[in-house]
Amino acid sequence: MLGYGDRVDRFAVGTPSSGATTDAVARINASAFGFQAHRSADVAVETSKTFAVVSRFHRAIGTITIVASAIFLLCIMLLKVDERRRDVAALRLIGCSERTIVGSVVLEAAAIAVLGSLFGVVVGGTASFLVNRHYQAVYRTPLRFSIVTGDIVLLAVALALVLGIVAGWLAARRLVRTPPLALFGR
Amino acid sequence: MLATLAIASLVRHRTRTVLAILGVAVSAAMLLDMVMLSSGMRESFRGLLLSQGFQLRLSPRGTLPFDTEATIRGADSLLALVRARPTVAAASPVLGGQLHFPSRSATITASALGVEPAVQGDYEVVAGREPAAADEIVANDATLRAIGHSVGDTVRAAAGYDPQLRTYSGERTLRVVGRVRFIYLALDQRAVALPITTLRAMGGPSSADRISLAMVKLRAGADVERERAALHALLPQVTVTSTAQALEQVDQRLSYFRQLAVILGSVSLVIGFLLVTTLVTVSVNERIGEIAVMRAIGVRRWRIVGQILLESSALMLIAAPLGLALGLVSARWLNSILARFPGLPERIDFFLFQPRAAWASLGLLAVSGILAGIYPSWRSASLPIAVTLRQEAVG
Repeated sequence: MLGYGDRVDRFAVGTPSSGATTDAVARINASAFGFQAHRSADVAVETSKTFAVVSRFHRAIGTITIVASAIFLLCIMLLKVDERRRDVAALRLIGCSERTIVGSVVLEAAAIAVLGSLFGVVVGGTASFLVNRHYQAVYRTPLRFSIVTGDIVLLAVALALVLGIVAGWLAARRLVRTPPLALFGR
Repeated sequence: MLATLAIASLVRHRTRTVLAILGVAVSAAMLLDMVMLSSGMRESFRGLLLSQGFQLRLSPRGTLPFDTEATIRGADSLLALVRARPTVAAASPVLGGQLHFPSRSATITASALGVEPAVQGDYEVVAGREPAAADEIVANDATLRAIGHSVGDTVRAAAGYDPQLRTYSGERTLRVVGRVRFIYLALDQRAVALPITTLRAMGGPSSADRISLAMVKLRAGADVERERAALHALLPQVTVTSTAQALEQVDQRLSYFRQLAVILGSVSLVIGFLLVTTLVTVSVNERIGEIAVMRAIGVRRWRIVGQILLESSALMLIAAPLGLALGLVSARWLNSILARFPGLPERIDFFLFQPRAAWASLGLLAVSGILAGIYPSWRSASLPIAVTLRQEAVG
């Protein structure tokens, strides 16, 4: 139908082992004229370059999002701890140590971070489901575009926990260094 | 007075204000990047298509330029018809193919474009000159590096193989007369250009009187869409694509990035909005007594609202220039990642800075800043004065 005659675009060659593949590629390329043999793995790397670029782009966007979230979290923790300045001043005046106060604030920050990140996992899972539904319909494919794995959940929770603890510690340290009477506004 | 009070309130909590500005700046940077992404890629591609002044492209029926290996038959008579039209200033035929450069160690293969050098719009000459004779060729850096030759050298090139006889077909000796940069090809893609008559002769009977594409430049003032429709009716064997149609195709193929830009841009805006709303609400809560006193001594309600709106807008607007600078830096970084897409023309930018994009981001930030101040300002302005004063005094 195409009028191509005795022609093909490519051959697929099966080999018994990886070593045999290397040997076959070398021998075919040594004797080939007008065509070239490639390992399937090399072809896969070459054809998946587009996905690799998209993946790197997503990682970069993720990094920017993490920076924005870290600042947001720090700001919120600062406000939250600031709201408790009178409580902290009272605790200091009745003899609570700085360590105890910082510890309690950090614990609270950690709890908020864990609860927030768990809520975020639910939001992320829902978003992932919607993304898959949308793009599977757009491109008419069963391929999954977004996958929430255990590793990703673990990374998100760990990151939120670390950021929450650091933000809480910074805000609490700032508060305990202020004299209690100044915290009362006197 | 409004501005003084707003600034005094922001300065009173420096750390908080600085963090809020940083947070809004990062959100603004992301917003700017996403606005640049949503429009930049389209504008960049548009600029690329129009860079040589060709508004129409003729490709084999049902295909886009160089989307398949199909060619147009009867190219010479077709070009004569096109060139005879009064609105056509120039028509540039292009025949695509491959050339093989045999050497002792390996054979280097490069994409080959057969062109009419006098009217071509596919490359720019970086060094040397256009091919003038039938045995002259120009090549890009990637090809010259691969074949180990430079301008002035003579090379052997073949258009095909005959595997059964183990010989090259359509072999010629060509002289490299120029180093060029191909406009529509990727930087690392090996490519050469030579007179279309030479490439046809090398390709044999299957290439005779054929082209892969013709680019048409219209005279000033010509209606592109009308001419496209006229050529479409005149030449049933080809698909005539205008720049606007090509952009529509690009929009469809790259819709993922546009959707991503809209989603991430909206999220950035919401994050900035939430940050400023939270900050201003807390700030107002801390100053309830102060605001009640101001109302008690006769400061009008709209002045309180104005001060708080000014405070939220100031946060957004102070952060905006910082966000703009951050956005430009991050856009360059993100662009350098996407520039590694296989086969992407060197000149395509996904993140293209346009003043309109910056103004759009600034406008969105300003509106978001005002909206962020509405709830806290409404709350502060509607405080019962006597009750609030008593509560604040008692503590």
